[in-house]
Amino acid sequence: MPIRTAYSANALPEVVWELAAKAGDCNPRVILFFASSKYDPAEVSHAMQAAFPEACVAGCTTAGEIAGGKMSCESIAAMFLDDEIVGHRASAVVEGLSSQVSVRAAFSKMEQGLGAPVSSLDIEKYVGIVLADGLSGSEEALMEKIGDCTDLLFVGGSAGDDLKFAKTHVMLNGQAFTNAAVLLLLETKNGFDIVKTQSFRTTGKTLLATKVDEPHRLVEEFDHQPALAAYAQALGVLPAEVPSHFMKHPLGLMIEKDPYVRSPQRVQGEGIVFYCQIKQGMKLEVLEGTDIVAHTRNAIEARKATGKPISGIIDFQCILRALQLREEGHCDQYGAIFAGIPTVGFSTYGEAYLGHINQTSTMLVFR
Amino acid sequence: MAGQIRKLLDTIVEKRSKGNPTIALTTKTKLIFKGFDPDNFNAGSPDDPAAIQKIKAIAVDLGVSL
Repeated sequence: MPIRTAYSANALPEVVWELAAKAGDCNPRVILFFASSKYDPAEVSHAMQAAFPEACVAGCTTAGEIAGGKMSCESIAAMFLDDEIVGHRASAVVEGLSSQVSVRAAFSKMEQGLGAPVSSLDIEKYVGIVLADGLSGSEEALMEKIGDCTDLLFVGGSAGDDLKFAKTHVMLNGQAFTNAAVLLLLETKNGFDIVKTQSFRTTGKTLLATKVDEPHRLVEEFDHQPALAAYAQALGVLPAEVPSHFMKHPLGLMIEKDPYVRSPQRVQGEGIVFYCQIKQGMKLEVLEGTDIVAHTRNAIEARKATGKPISGIIDFQCILRALQLREEGHCDQYGAIFAGIPTVGFSTYGEAYLGHINQTSTMLVFR
Repeated sequence: MAGQIRKLLDTIVEKRSKGNPTIALTTKTKLIFKGFDPDNFNAGSPDDPAAIQKIKAIAVDLGVSL
C-alpha cells in the first residue's frame, strides 16, 4: 500500500478523527505528525496515540504545515508508514537540551528496542529522524552528539510555534515535551535518500569568522572587523541597510561545493546574531538568493531522474523559505512540485542534516 | 614542527570510515561543523598546540584512537 498522508484544520478532537478516517485501512507502524501550535501539544499527542495505539507516533509543533501538495497553517499534517515501508523501529526522547546535551541514554533505549547495537545497523537501510525544540538553541550540540554516536544519517527539523517564539514542543507516544528532542530510528524496507536543497548561488565573496560567541550564535568580527561593517562591506550596502538583506544574503559554509546555510537573524551592537552557530575560523561564502520554486523543482526532478522509486517525502522546510514563498505568492507553485507524491512536512525553525542548518528544504525520500 | 593537524584530521576520517566513502564524506562534514576543515590544513600548517588538543578531544568523541 502506498504511503498515506492526511491533513485537517479541525479542532480537537475532531482533527484526530478526520486524520484517522483519512488513514483508512492503513495499519501504520509509524506516524509522523506536524501540528500547528494552536493545538494543545499534550492533548494532541495523547489523542493521536489513542487513535493509533499500535503505532509509534511522533511529531512536533510547527510554523506551518505541508501536506496534499499544499502549504497550510493552523492544521495538522500526518504521514502513515506501514510495514511495506518500515520494518524495525525505535524511538527515544532526549530531555534537558539547554543544560547539557547527552544522547547516550536515548541511543541505549533505541538499541534495546531494536535488539541490536546501533553500530551494527546498515547505513543504507536505517535512517534517523530528529525533531528538536526549536527554541532551545541547542540543535548544534544535539547534532554533534548524534554524529559522534553513529554513522547513520539523521534528518529532521526544529519545532516551531507559528512565529510566536514563545514555546515549541516535540511529541512521542502520547506525551509532549519542551526543551527536548525526539529521535526515531527506522529500518526502511526499500531504502531511502536525503535531498537537501537551498536556493542560493555564491557571490565569490567570503567572510572569515575571527571573533565569535558560539553559545549565543553571535559573530562579533569577520576578517578582524566588526561583523556588521564587514557584512555590509561585502554586500556594498550601508550598515543601517543590512537587516533588509538578511533573507536574500545568508552565509554558506561550503562543503564539497555545497552550501550549509547560516542565516543572519538580527544585528546586536556591532555584531550579527545567526540562526545557527558559526565557529571561530570558519570561512563562509556570501550567498545570493535565487528562485526557490525552480531550485526545489530541479532537485525533485533530478531525484526522479535517477529512476529510483519515490514512495513518499518528508519535507523539513525552513520558515524563512516559507515566508519568502508566502511573500512572493508562490506557495501553490511550491506545493505543486510534489503533486502525485505522498508528501508531508512543516515549516521549521532550522533543519537537521549532519549539523544544524537554515534556509533549506531538507527532505527524507522513502523509496 | 608542521603538518600535524592535517595528519590527525586525515587519520580520524580514515579510521572512522574504515574505507567506506560515504562515511568518509560524512565524517569530513562533521569535522567541518566542529570547526576543522581538513582542506584548510596541509603539510606546512603550523602545529598549533591548542588546535591539536581540540582535535584529540574530537577523536575521543568520535571513538577514534589516534
